[in-house]
Amino acid sequence: MIKIEYLEVKYGRNPPVLSIDKLHIGPRERVAIIGPSGAGKSTLLRTIKGYVRPARGKIEVMGVNLATARRRERQPVNQRIGVVYQQFHLVKRLSVVKNVLCGRLGLTSRWRSLLGIFSAEDRAVAWSAICEVGLSKKVHQRADTLSGGEQQRVAVARALAQQPTIILADEPVSSVDPAWAEDILELILQVQAHHNATLVMSLHQPDLARRFADRIIGLRDGKVVFDGPPSMLTENSLKELYRGIDSLPLNGAATHAEKDQTRSA
Amino acid sequence: MGTLLAILVWCWVGTGMSTHDLIGSGPRIADFFDRMLPPDLTWTTNEPRPFAPPLKIAWTAVSITLQISVLGTAIGFVLAIVLGFLAAENLTPHWVHHPLKIALALLRSIPVILLALLFVTAVGLGAVPGVLAIGVHSVGMLGKLFAEEVEGADEGVWEAMDSAGANWFQKVRYAIWPQVAAQIYSLTLFRLDMNIRESAVLGLVGVAGLGLWIENYRRAFDYPSVATLVIVTMMVVLIVEQLSIQVRRRLK
Repeated sequence: MIKIEYLEVKYGRNPPVLSIDKLHIGPRERVAIIGPSGAGKSTLLRTIKGYVRPARGKIEVMGVNLATARRRERQPVNQRIGVVYQQFHLVKRLSVVKNVLCGRLGLTSRWRSLLGIFSAEDRAVAWSAICEVGLSKKVHQRADTLSGGEQQRVAVARALAQQPTIILADEPVSSVDPAWAEDILELILQVQAHHNATLVMSLHQPDLARRFADRIIGLRDGKVVFDGPPSMLTENSLKELYRGIDSLPLNGAATHAEKDQTRSA
Repeated sequence: MGTLLAILVWCWVGTGMSTHDLIGSGPRIADFFDRMLPPDLTWTTNEPRPFAPPLKIAWTAVSITLQISVLGTAIGFVLAIVLGFLAAENLTPHWVHHPLKIALALLRSIPVILLALLFVTAVGLGAVPGVLAIGVHSVGMLGKLFAEEVEGADEGVWEAMDSAGANWFQKVRYAIWPQVAAQIYSLTLFRLDMNIRESAVLGLVGVAGLGLWIENYRRAFDYPSVATLVIVTMMVVLIVEQLSIQVRRRLK
């Protein structure tokens, strides 16, 4: 599904932020990427999505090498990758159903969608996605009236409306009330299984990665330093991964504190 | 501080202000107001006079002023939507938004009354030059404000729409428009309420409406009628301002 070989990603003339010799992710795998801030977790996701062009190497997604493919070839791949963001990125003033319908924009008739007209199929897909994330009672509520956890559910439904083959989640629970984090992750696993999608998510908390992924990839300074099932992720390998970093982010509060630090730094 | 004082002195001397004249002009201003009062509120007169009583023409004058402002604002709004969105840095490449920003600034830099003077020369007296002047000026003003609104929109939503495979128009329609629409309507209403005031002044250069009638009465030395129309203008402006505040409050 995703094949990375001798990949190097650079921003300008700086040393590479990502440098991966070999990383294959198969269909229906549930992968969690962990590692300290700045390790390249987001960059890896953005490269898979096709937003970042590698300086060298191969990144093959659904059989298309994004490093060399033309825009026309990349577009259908992009279309089949649903993304869930840390900050949700919902249109605050639109209702739940309209936000979810936005996930159909690449599949529906372009010009009709500009008039706000969606086909019966679009509506059906959106509706089943909304039911799947458990928001069927709030379809017409405005997105900004929902709680953080509910907003992330809408975002998951929007990604589902794309009928994705791959679901990418960039720290999906870092902006969600810690109490709801597990619910959201469970939901993401549930829809991943139901849609036979491949799931790649970056997580700030190794603890959550252990419990919600089948395979954990540890990134440090842009390199893969751990790759294996959760059972292989020992305390020692965690220490190695986060070596030199003050506190191991184990709970939501720590995560937020660390985020703030990196932001103000 | 010294510079500020120097500037003020330069202005005082340049404009020929003098305390003597200021005090001396008091009685003359009072005299002028005295001639304006009481405002002419008659409907019919048997006396011969150059123009009909002000209350008789008030309705037509107010209507034409409002029509000029509404139409001019509407033209400005439509063009500003197109140009303003294209002038937003986050929607278009540099070679599109940069020249557009300059063009909008140039449009804004011409005062409405000058624009009206140009259009009166070009298309003749009446309401049309007023509509064009208000329209052109509004494009410059609204276009800039719309572009700024768009530039302030949340980028993440744009990326999320892109991620769903949306094209440029779809992204503008679904990622940007819902974020800026309320503010754009609000800015347009605010512009309308300023345009009504502006268009009342345009009578001075021959554009139809309240201003033209005020000018007519003034030239006929019919000051009580001038007073009536000034009061009518104030009332119209205040009413529209209140309405606009109410509507804008609801848009939030």
